[in-house]
Amino acid sequence: MNTRSLRFGLIGWYAGCLTGVFVLFGVVLHQLLGYYLERNLAELLSRRSEQIAVSLLANVQATGEKYVVDEIQARYNPAQFDRFIRLTRAGGAVLYASGRTADFDPSGLPAAGPGNSTRVVRLADGHRLLVTARTYLSPSGGAYVIESGGPMQAIEEMLSNLVEMLLVNVPLAVLVAVGGGYYLVGRALAPVVRMARSAERITLRNLDEQLPVTRSGDELEQLSLALNHMIRRLREAVEQNQRFLADASHELRTPLTVLRGELESAVGQTAAPELRERLGSALEEVDRLVKIVEALFAISRVEAGDAPRQWTRFDLAQLAAATAEQMSLLAEDKGVRVNCKVEGNVSVEGDSARIKQVVVNLLDNAIKYTPAGGCIELSVQARGGKAVMEVADTGIGIPAGALPRVFERFYRGDQASWRDGGGAGLGLAIVKSICSAHGGQIGVQSVEGRGSHFKVELPLAGGT
Amino acid sequence: MADDWWTVLGAAALNNVNAAMRLLIIEDERKVADIVARGLRAERFAVDVAYDGERGWEMASLCDYDLIILDLMLPGPGGSEILRRLRHAKKEVPVLILTARESTAEKVENFEAGADDYLTKPFAMAELLVRVKALLRRGAVPQSSVLRAGDLELDRLSQQVRRGGKKIELTSKEYALLEYLVANAGRVLSRTMIIEHVWDQSFEGLTNIVDVYVRHLREKIEEGHQQKLIRTVRGVGYCVSDEAER
Repeated sequence: MNTRSLRFGLIGWYAGCLTGVFVLFGVVLHQLLGYYLERNLAELLSRRSEQIAVSLLANVQATGEKYVVDEIQARYNPAQFDRFIRLTRAGGAVLYASGRTADFDPSGLPAAGPGNSTRVVRLADGHRLLVTARTYLSPSGGAYVIESGGPMQAIEEMLSNLVEMLLVNVPLAVLVAVGGGYYLVGRALAPVVRMARSAERITLRNLDEQLPVTRSGDELEQLSLALNHMIRRLREAVEQNQRFLADASHELRTPLTVLRGELESAVGQTAAPELRERLGSALEEVDRLVKIVEALFAISRVEAGDAPRQWTRFDLAQLAAATAEQMSLLAEDKGVRVNCKVEGNVSVEGDSARIKQVVVNLLDNAIKYTPAGGCIELSVQARGGKAVMEVADTGIGIPAGALPRVFERFYRGDQASWRDGGGAGLGLAIVKSICSAHGGQIGVQSVEGRGSHFKVELPLAGGT
Repeated sequence: MADDWWTVLGAAALNNVNAAMRLLIIEDERKVADIVARGLRAERFAVDVAYDGERGWEMASLCDYDLIILDLMLPGPGGSEILRRLRHAKKEVPVLILTARESTAEKVENFEAGADDYLTKPFAMAELLVRVKALLRRGAVPQSSVLRAGDLELDRLSQQVRRGGKKIELTSKEYALLEYLVANAGRVLSRTMIIEHVWDQSFEGLTNIVDVYVRHLREKIEEGHQQKLIRTVRGVGYCVSDEAER
């Protein structure tokens, strides 16, 4: 999973926020519930003290303290009902104190201060007790402190149950929410992924294709529409470029035809050798112009992909060997040896005339830039699922600075030795565009003064 | 233009073999048309010229020409349209298409529409002449199997070459080159023509291969002979002739 994807990021934030909200909610709930339960218990306890005061202590003059104590014991039965009741005469004498219950042991509980108060006391046995104290002034003038207590245990249990519930359910809820969110975000982003995939398939060759547009009315639809607009504008630009080249082709060819025709007829009509030389020289330049114009349009045609698909399956090894054989005299003439190392049947699919041009251009370059006594090695083999053709020479090589640019149109090195070739700097550009039109690629390595090594990789024809 | 036409027709009556052949050029680029016309007239053809499609179609439909040289991009009906009309009217005159747009798809289309040959601008006059003659010869008497230039003799059947009766060994490429030159003796052939004929289009950019082969060929056939057979015409190409080199 790509941790930097939009999907992952969104879900991360989402899960973080959700967990935060749940934790805050749990804490507040816990606090509120605790507060509420404690207040309830305190109210209950002070009502009980009130009862003792109003129904028993009010008449203490008539009934006597002993009666009050017995009544408290009889009515409230603290030991059985887990209650704590203590009646103290103001001044310190304890009249009644309930004893140990099943749950807690209140012995040793310190006396309450004067006035009315509510406090939580931790008993010696560890239990916590909520105790309300009320000072009652009886009609007889005696002051009594009534303390009434109840265990906090129930509240604590309830709160800890709440915490347990939250600890189990919150992560579960977050998990479910994250899972759902991940799915939903994925669904929402799926068109983006689709768009990216189809955008990658679009090249100069199929600019008339469009990205799929989901009519959802959302931002993604806008995005795909915008991309399609861009592709359309790109296509228009490319078409304009191609039209321009076609028009330029026409416009250049006609004057060249005239120029050549006039010069040729002039050569035919003049007898003066010097003039013939000059006209010949002019004709050579016309020829060069014609070659440049033709090479340029050959490239644009290959790149536009409008060359008809006269694709056949053929053996690259055989084609390369045959071409090398046809060019061997050229190499021999220059005093350069060509070693041909081709193996077996390396079947590729394509326009064999164009692929042959790749071989011709590469070998021609190698011969051109290799001094007498040098050696050129041509090899073709099937390697790693690809047809690999290599042309290595022991020539003058290419300066490191020029290497990245050798496949550019009209690029020729700065060195005079490069210019000796007399080409237009289009040979390698043609080679490259032919290679990419066949789904292949070309690379070069070179050491200046030691030689160059061109490597062409083409897809092997299927089923071999 | 009409004057031209009648002048040419008149001249045709006076002239020799080629003059029996009447050619029509339909080309809107006046200079190109004039150069082609001049070149063809120098070869003693009778040549008419139309500078637009309308006029061209009129002339082509009224007269029976032996060959029509047709530009594709024309004002009025285009070259393809004229070609279609001609074939529709059952006129079987050979048509050589001239074009500035070199697209194979277009080429195929026009061949299907009935074009006999195809020449891309800018072309060498020599190439145009070779093709015109080939089209006019079509269906005519087969050439003899032995070609001669001076004391050089080529036997096309056995592919043997002799000079002054002495046999010369050539490689097959050298033979093909020599045969092409000798078959067109007296005509200057451009390097591009030679490459297209003897090698193939993939070698187009590689005109120096022609020079290398010609040099080797010269060494073999001119060794020990005073008379040079293969002449270099700077800027144009090579030519076999039995005249002494100028």
